[in-house]
Amino acid sequence: MKAAQGEPIVQINQLNKFYGNFHVLKEVDLTVTRGEVLVIVGASGSGKSTLIRCVNGLEEYQSGTLEVDGFLMPRAEEREFGEVKGLREIRRGVGMVFQQFNLFPHMTVLQNITLGPMRVRRKSRAEAEENAMRLLDRVGLRDQALKYPGALSGGQQQRVAIARSLAMEPHLMLFDEPTSALDPEMVGEVLDVMRELAREGMTMMIVTHEMGFAREVGDRVIYVDQGRITESGTPAEFFDNPKNERTRTFLSRVLKH
Amino acid sequence: MSPMQKKIRWLHVNLFAKPADALLTLVVVPLLLWAVWAFLSWALTAADWSVVFNSLKVLMTGTFPSSKLWLVWIVAGMIAALAGLATSASIPFGRTAAVIAVLCYLVLVLAIFGAAHIAPQALLVLAAFHAAWLIGLRVPVLRENLAPIAFGTLIAVLVILSPVGPSNWGGLLLSILITLTAALLTIPLGILLAFGRQSKIASLRALCTGYIEVMRSVPLILVVFCIWVAFPLVLPKFPIPDVVRGLIGFTLFYSAYAAEFIRSGLQSVAKGQTEAAESLGLSDFDLKRIVILPQALRVAVPGLVGNILDIFNYAPLVFIIGLTDFLRAGQMILANPENSARTYEIYVFMFLTYFVVGSIITFQARRLEQKLNKGVRK
Repeated sequence: MKAAQGEPIVQINQLNKFYGNFHVLKEVDLTVTRGEVLVIVGASGSGKSTLIRCVNGLEEYQSGTLEVDGFLMPRAEEREFGEVKGLREIRRGVGMVFQQFNLFPHMTVLQNITLGPMRVRRKSRAEAEENAMRLLDRVGLRDQALKYPGALSGGQQQRVAIARSLAMEPHLMLFDEPTSALDPEMVGEVLDVMRELAREGMTMMIVTHEMGFAREVGDRVIYVDQGRITESGTPAEFFDNPKNERTRTFLSRVLKH
Repeated sequence: MSPMQKKIRWLHVNLFAKPADALLTLVVVPLLLWAVWAFLSWALTAADWSVVFNSLKVLMTGTFPSSKLWLVWIVAGMIAALAGLATSASIPFGRTAAVIAVLCYLVLVLAIFGAAHIAPQALLVLAAFHAAWLIGLRVPVLRENLAPIAFGTLIAVLVILSPVGPSNWGGLLLSILITLTAALLTIPLGILLAFGRQSKIASLRALCTGYIEVMRSVPLILVVFCIWVAFPLVLPKFPIPDVVRGLIGFTLFYSAYAAEFIRSGLQSVAKGQTEAAESLGLSDFDLKRIVILPQALRVAVPGLVGNILDIFNYAPLVFIIGLTDFLRAGQMILANPENSARTYEIYVFMFLTYFVVGSIITFQARRLEQKLNKGVRK
């Protein structure tokens, strides 16, 4: 396993998020360094998905600061008044993979992957398609390029979704429970692709329930409980010697089966 | 099972499965047979179809000058070609289509002997339809750009007919022009209204919501009449022909309905689609145009086609502003005392025409829907 090192790419400071009166994220402090694989675990409803959705601005936050790639993410109030510059810059460098894949069903696999590079990065079709084919090769789906997402299995769709994000050449990849909607026999193929990405040095923030994967691939694991980060450590520390009582209860529940 | 046994079984299952079914069959089937026989015996012996034949020009074009009828034929050919191209987007040219085509051509060729002044032109119009259908099947670029081609055709049609003056447009020609124009304009207007209704800008949202709700809560005939009355008041210096005012009224009214169909389409697109597009960094405009709208329109197609059918079927209401559409033209023919005994013939002819056009629209819509649903599962 490689060491977590290098300069910070994500810096979150005293971040607070509310849904109306409900305090979802509470004074969150978190730094992710370049090349690091950070795994976020926690019970459902703890705020772990909300946390990584804040990182690319799919969720707004009310106070604190959130900086990605040196760009400051505008707060909810600033966004209401049309301040979106930081948001746009951040999204250009951050890829996101969703639990439900969210491929565009009316476009072929190839069109799904080339859309971003062509419309956002203004690449030529030829260049975008060539790169897309290379990415499809990498996720083992070269022969599916002209199919529609509906014709693919869940695992295949998720690998296309990963390729679609990678096509934007992100500095940071966010994974929001990427295997939770998959049939068990398809989880492995998606985790393999993610493992490969980690090996190549991609910075990743992963929300997952795959504890074996977290232990194997993660550089650091954090536990989110009721909107706070209550535990943080290397996989070895986290799984073998958790400091917090609630982490221990959680681990005993999820590791039992 | 032999074919005979299969037929008997089909009858058994579909018509005589239960005692109640059998009873219903024994009442309904003879009644239907009697109705068909009565109609056919009237249509083939008592009816005098020459009145329809002699008034075809008025029924089809109203007061359009006879010397300029060739313009109408050109327009008919263009609209037929557009219809052929639209057909190619959803229906392959199969054996049934070929058989129907051959039958139509045979009838038209035979008709040359009886009606040499129209049959050859009709033949060419039909040929334009089939040619466009077959070309569309072979050249995907054409059928994929149906919308711009349709708009181009509409503009060309209006330009070709304009020297004659809109006040002379009438009959089925007018009904079809109203339908085509309103159908093509209501969709982009509906898209703008639907997005406007969801806009983050409160004033725009209020404006679009207000417009849609007002239009949906008043009768069509009132809107058409108000527009007709309002224009000379607002723009006394620029006299706008009745037909154009009628077209504007229909378009403004039905775009509110189109907007609601499109809005329900927009709402059916999963939120994850927006999130995925945003994550890729797509601009708001690209996100709506490339990701959201195509998916929304798929859902909106049945409603929008129903809208087009409504426009066609309500087009006769333009009589309120003094226009002579297909239905009104028929009534004018009957107003002539010479034809007073031929009421049924004229109405049967109009009934069949509306039925044929309407069922072609619904048939194509169903095929289009099936095609859009194929291979696209969320």
